[in-house]
Amino acid sequence: MKCENCKNNDATFFYEETINGQSRSVRLCAECATKMKAGEKLFAEQGDAFSFPSFTQLHNNFLDGLFGITAPNTKGTAKSCPGCGATWNDLLKSSKAFCPECYTTFLEELRPTLRSLHGNVTHTGRAPAGRRAQKEKRDRLASLKAQLGEAIKAENFEEAAKLRDEIRGLEKE
Amino acid sequence: MAWYQVKGNDSDTVFSSRIRFARNLTGYRFEAGLSTKDAEEIISRIEGALGDEYIKTDMCGLSALQAQSLVEQHLISRDFASKKTPHALFRNDNKSLSVMALEEDHIRLQCILPGLSLRDAYRFACECDDKLDSALELAYDESLGYLTHCPTNLGTGMRASVMLFLPALKAANMIASLAHQLSKIGLTMRGLYGEGSEPHGCLYQVSNQVTLGASEEDILHKLEEAVQSIIEKERKLRQQLSGEAAERRADRIHRAEGTLRYASMLSSEEFFSIYADLKLGIALGLIDSISDETLNTLLINVLPATLTQNAPSAPKSGAERDRQRAAFIKQALEVSK
Repeated sequence: MKCENCKNNDATFFYEETINGQSRSVRLCAECATKMKAGEKLFAEQGDAFSFPSFTQLHNNFLDGLFGITAPNTKGTAKSCPGCGATWNDLLKSSKAFCPECYTTFLEELRPTLRSLHGNVTHTGRAPAGRRAQKEKRDRLASLKAQLGEAIKAENFEEAAKLRDEIRGLEKE
Repeated sequence: MAWYQVKGNDSDTVFSSRIRFARNLTGYRFEAGLSTKDAEEIISRIEGALGDEYIKTDMCGLSALQAQSLVEQHLISRDFASKKTPHALFRNDNKSLSVMALEEDHIRLQCILPGLSLRDAYRFACECDDKLDSALELAYDESLGYLTHCPTNLGTGMRASVMLFLPALKAANMIASLAHQLSKIGLTMRGLYGEGSEPHGCLYQVSNQVTLGASEEDILHKLEEAVQSIIEKERKLRQQLSGEAAERRADRIHRAEGTLRYASMLSSEEFFSIYADLKLGIALGLIDSISDETLNTLLINVLPATLTQNAPSAPKSGAERDRQRAAFIKQALEVSK
């Protein structure tokens, strides 16, 4: 089989990953595999134990083209981050955010990248102490709403009524 | 006593467990583009939040050799060691808890423990995180979690990893397929001291790839399950060897002990190979004159920068360093008797 990138050399490299249920795979020749650095990451040098795969690598390399990951939305190019003045092009060039506010400013533009990096774009897990109560309430509401859906599906209306009241109570708090 | 001088759980197959959190302060730019004044202010605020129990090292005051030794001790990353702008390291007495101030993120805190101790490492890392959280306003978003310089670390900002010792799986050529299987469930496998493509000492690090959308508990659970399954495979393979093959393995292990004790010159590559044979020998009950902790301590202390730091004089050549390494090992084994 030929390399899926250069379409010239024999493919000797098979790369496959599944992140949060989303799978993608590619067959490459040694030269293209080296270029893409997919193979290198497997046994990267010791110092890289602290690093994560680069956003640019994942966003801009030709794998994205192969897998049809949409190109970054360019509609945000005119705006700049109120926290640091960075534009979307600045973020693309550096492959990193410049301040915490960049994330709220460019969330829409970042979404496709976050999806390709993580699969899921909603945080679950720890929160700073001051935000924990708020987060716990949000998580509890989401769980109750899911249970309500299940109860309605199962035509368990007594349980559904209880859950509805609990949701209303929690929302009023 | 440093963490690596203590015997850990499942030490026959696990070298260490580590939890790392990436955090940033609100009101400042991320590390790139931070002014010197802001950088110094952040370091001082982190210092205030951590209190007196952490030992501070101003990284800009260290020589390249001293910084590299901290890399070898798993306390800092290589990028952190080579930075030129203000940055500092805070660590506890036994070096198990450390905070890199102004690495890629304002805060990179880590807890590393010997053997399989992911839950303990997580608990200690959370305690340190809570301490920082109570004194500093950390950058956080309801939907994206902890906000980090690089989007690859968003969400929990957590990387959990276990350093596994897998000589039997390596001998059976099963590492590549194992790494492939792990990648399918969102885990990554790397070498420890691999300066080329081949990891040294049969040590492989398994860690989570994804930080957003999976909770800390999800990440730990998945990693624990994978690690347990790898450990079982490794142990089974070790037991399967019998007859002449087992005899040859025992012979190799005893020869490794002889070399470690009596060689007068030892390169780091040769040491890694001896390390793997002896660690396996200890696990199989074939070596009882050297403890696993002594061996692990040597693994850190005989690396070039740490070795040179502890040597009577800086080596002028590779050969001299190899002589110093052999002499250091002889002395360490004598002391540990």
